[in-house]
Amino acid sequence: MRRSFILSRLTDLVVVLFGVSVITFLMIRLVPGDAVAIMLGANAEVTPERMDELRARIGLDQPIVVQYLHWIGGVLTGDLGQSLWTRRPVIDEIAVHIWPTIQLAGLSLVIGAALAVPLGVLMARLRGRGWEIGLQIGSVAGLTVPSFWLGIMMILALTTLAPGVQMLGYVPFSQDPLGNLARLILPAIALALPILANLARLVRSAMLDALQQDYIRTARAKGVSERAILYKHALRNALIPFVTSVGIMTGYLLSGAIVVEQVFAIPGLGRLLLGAIAERNYPLLQATILLVTVVFVAVNFVVDLVYAWIDPRVKT
Amino acid sequence: MASAAPATARRRPPTVLIVASGFLAATVLLALAAPLVAPYDPLAQSVMARLRGPGAAHWLGTDQFGRDLLTRILYGLRASLAISFGAVGLALLVGGTLGLISAYYRGWTERIVMRVMDVLFAFPVMLLAIGIIAVLGPGATTTAAAIAIVYTPIFARLLRGPALVVATSDYVMSARSIGASDARIIALHILPNLASVVLVQMSLLMSTAILVEASLSFLGLGTQPPTPSLGMMLAEGRNFLLLSPWSAVFSGLAILFVAFVLNFFGDVLRDQLDPRLR
Amino acid sequence: MKRLISTAALVAAMSVGAGAAGAQVLELAVSDSPAGLDPHIVTAFASFQVVNGTVYEALTEVGPDLRIRPSLAESWEVSDDGTTYTFTLREGVTFHDGSAMTAEDVVASIERVKSEAIGSPLASRVAAVAGASAVDERTVEMTLSEPSAPFLTQLASIAIVPSAFQADAESLQQQPVGTGPFAFEEWQPNNFILLGANEDYWRDGMPKLDGVRFNIVPESATRQVGIASGQYQMLPNIDAATALQLQGRPGVVLQDTLELSYTLIGMNTSQPPFDDPLVRQAVNYALDREAIVQAALFGSGVPAGPLSPALEAWARDVSEFPCYQHSPERARELLAEAGVETPVKLTMLVLPRQDIRDIAQVAQAQLEAAGFEVELNIPELGTFVQDWRNSNFEIFASANAGSVDPDDFFYRAFRTGGSTNVFKYSDPRVDELLETGRTERDEAARKAAYDELQGILACEGPVAHVAYGQLYTATREGLSGFEIIANRSLSTLAETSTAQ
Repeated sequence: MRRSFILSRLTDLVVVLFGVSVITFLMIRLVPGDAVAIMLGANAEVTPERMDELRARIGLDQPIVVQYLHWIGGVLTGDLGQSLWTRRPVIDEIAVHIWPTIQLAGLSLVIGAALAVPLGVLMARLRGRGWEIGLQIGSVAGLTVPSFWLGIMMILALTTLAPGVQMLGYVPFSQDPLGNLARLILPAIALALPILANLARLVRSAMLDALQQDYIRTARAKGVSERAILYKHALRNALIPFVTSVGIMTGYLLSGAIVVEQVFAIPGLGRLLLGAIAERNYPLLQATILLVTVVFVAVNFVVDLVYAWIDPRVKT
Repeated sequence: MASAAPATARRRPPTVLIVASGFLAATVLLALAAPLVAPYDPLAQSVMARLRGPGAAHWLGTDQFGRDLLTRILYGLRASLAISFGAVGLALLVGGTLGLISAYYRGWTERIVMRVMDVLFAFPVMLLAIGIIAVLGPGATTTAAAIAIVYTPIFARLLRGPALVVATSDYVMSARSIGASDARIIALHILPNLASVVLVQMSLLMSTAILVEASLSFLGLGTQPPTPSLGMMLAEGRNFLLLSPWSAVFSGLAILFVAFVLNFFGDVLRDQLDPRLR
Repeated sequence: MKRLISTAALVAAMSVGAGAAGAQVLELAVSDSPAGLDPHIVTAFASFQVVNGTVYEALTEVGPDLRIRPSLAESWEVSDDGTTYTFTLREGVTFHDGSAMTAEDVVASIERVKSEAIGSPLASRVAAVAGASAVDERTVEMTLSEPSAPFLTQLASIAIVPSAFQADAESLQQQPVGTGPFAFEEWQPNNFILLGANEDYWRDGMPKLDGVRFNIVPESATRQVGIASGQYQMLPNIDAATALQLQGRPGVVLQDTLELSYTLIGMNTSQPPFDDPLVRQAVNYALDREAIVQAALFGSGVPAGPLSPALEAWARDVSEFPCYQHSPERARELLAEAGVETPVKLTMLVLPRQDIRDIAQVAQAQLEAAGFEVELNIPELGTFVQDWRNSNFEIFASANAGSVDPDDFFYRAFRTGGSTNVFKYSDPRVDELLETGRTERDEAARKAAYDELQGILACEGPVAHVAYGQLYTATREGLSGFEIIANRSLSTLAETSTAQ
């Protein structure tokens, strides 16, 4: 039973990944403007023949199906190709850029999750009072604040309040742990707000739900350690919605990071992606989109499995 | 659905819903009435009056061309709402149709349609939107189209589930048995049952569509000047952050406001429909 | 309380990070990541800025006064017929890999640029070279197929690389090897490019810095905040709008010079309505260049004629061009005379760069006041370049790079079939003047040809020249020796030092 469930999900996964690879490839080839023209810049003196030579050098002269088969064949054998002009293996480029993004997303998630529990509990506590509506408004505002705008405003505020603080760019953690965290904290906060709002709401409704349970009432009536039971129950209650929202949050983080990295000059996958689009670096672009999407799909796949595991009502 | 939980303290005062609807209506009205209420021409340039802070002549100040910020924000509200409504409406139309068709016909139709939807759904929102705009070229229409494509699978999935339930329900079965046409069944029996769910989803997605449009414009891929959209105003304003932050501050606040109003409405409405979540 | 302390500690940590980064490594912030660092393959500005005059040098170079001066060539002699150049190379120049630079490397570099396998976009600059040979270790002889007045200027853009790379189109892209004051050290893509001091540099006492780091910061606002807070010490080659915001900031100093490159509105002369010179004239009358300079460039710039006023010896004053009088009425008259239907509906292709977007918006308003109806199309850069190159436009707003020689301004852009003649412009008289300008060795005759040319191009040419902006470089206080150059080269970084 369980195995067949996993198997059918896996089949879906393969189909989806194949579709993703085709769409990624086609989408990129449909983008107007070619790599050669861009590398030369708008002012270069160059004849059409010369451009054809350059195009042939990077394999853009072959039919598109051949290019796709060539690419997907490479991907399946673990060869993502080379960056168009630097000839650096694409896998190396991605390896360099993936850490800042992982760190940024992870830090946002940690900040969001850590603050969500006390905030959610507080929101549940204040239920029914005048404060409640304020908190609901606050949490919706948290969900809808544009993270890049928040980032810019924080940069602006900090330049005015604390000039001389180094907060832009990126230093690898291994080189300078403190500097690394110092530079990531602002973008992580900017990115964390919607996550915080989302999780706090989950915690709140789980908490309220727990309060309604008979045995809590019983416990309360008996005067035994109400708190411990309450928290245990509420947090367990929050687990299922939390697991389901992990997929959504991953998507949000991957999307949000693209813009936030741009604002804070963090050399992550978002920058790699935008740079690759700008220079029509097809191999790099294909690999980056494919990778990010595969990560996203994989997370959702795992979420599905975990969800099915903790909530046995879900079958096939 | 869960038991009705009737007399518990869970009932929300409908005033919240009234307030939320009121805000939404006011925002939409303000956007529609922009040409009537805006104090200036949104495109009128005046070099002498540029990059002003808030003041008597220009309540919110002016941008780098001396254009009135309040006016442009009102017009921008209009453009942003139009883009997000267009995008979500189109997604609903296409995605919803696909979802209903899948639920109604099942079999291969469903399998193929839903697989394609799965593939589209597999991309993170911004990634797919950026890709589509790279293909279609930037602009208000293409931005709306890109967001619509990204949201299509959401509506397909959203409508397929309940539609499945409804399609196999007794009254549809009986309608079928008395020979009602497929289209008639879908239109008269299935759709009305889904209206509220759809309304909630629409307002929530319009809220995120506003944010996606803003992000795309911020990256230079959204609406094109001189037409103001809130995202584009923020994108232009951030270039003058040190000298005159007003444009960036106010257009960002406006984005936050309109996204908030939409999301709040959807949120409150959802609570009303499904009190269990409160 | 606890929170306060931890915040303070964090702030302290942030500031310490700066000091420890190395006192003598200059931190620059630039907007774009280079597509590669091979000077013969990638000619886009993002690469040029990083390697020109820093990592790579050429036989000649452009000084801050925009005159050509010797660099790797110590001196040269030209034969009487102007077709043979004999260069004497500087002694004691070594590449960053330790090998000595010889005549062979110079010949190999020229051959490399000409070779089809490399496919260098610079090939046309050395197209006139019929043959290059090493006479001895330090002497190179080049023969030209015909005399070329701009030849020495063009050589300034041909970097000299070790002969080992002659047939290698890949290595230099990642790992440049030149003779310049700074040697390539590290490239973290989308993060920074680090250059270290070349200890064996041939100019005594240079470079003064231990290194230069090009931080890649895509957001203009972020770069500005970065230099205001001292995280970056230099923002090279910024526009007026950015400079305006940094003006008067404590600790920030601005240097400026008049740009060689110009902003322009280009027209497609192969199709209506711009196949008619009257309509092109109308555009010129419609534009109020002063107003554009005021509105889009914040007053930092001058209305543009065909040549930059920075080229004092060549440029004609714009007051000599009648169509530079702003007159929407005259524009309407011309449109009526041309017999086109008004308003003339146009779509303007716009280079996605902030100053150009701004100029386009102002020009749009001006053109609409003079009988045109303009829609702006601001695509993403790759699409712009594609459309531009394929002449897929009616009218466009963009910027054109300038040079220190008029030939570079005009020849490729306006000659019939020229490599950047995307306007599809063709005028026999213009072609004739261009040839004269290129091959004539008598300065006065050359000047006469270019004077006439400027007159033709100003009003009826395919381009409405808009403005030469003021080019700025912002630095932190206490930086000395740096001098801005109008061609955007950062070669004076060799002489730059920081206080401390």
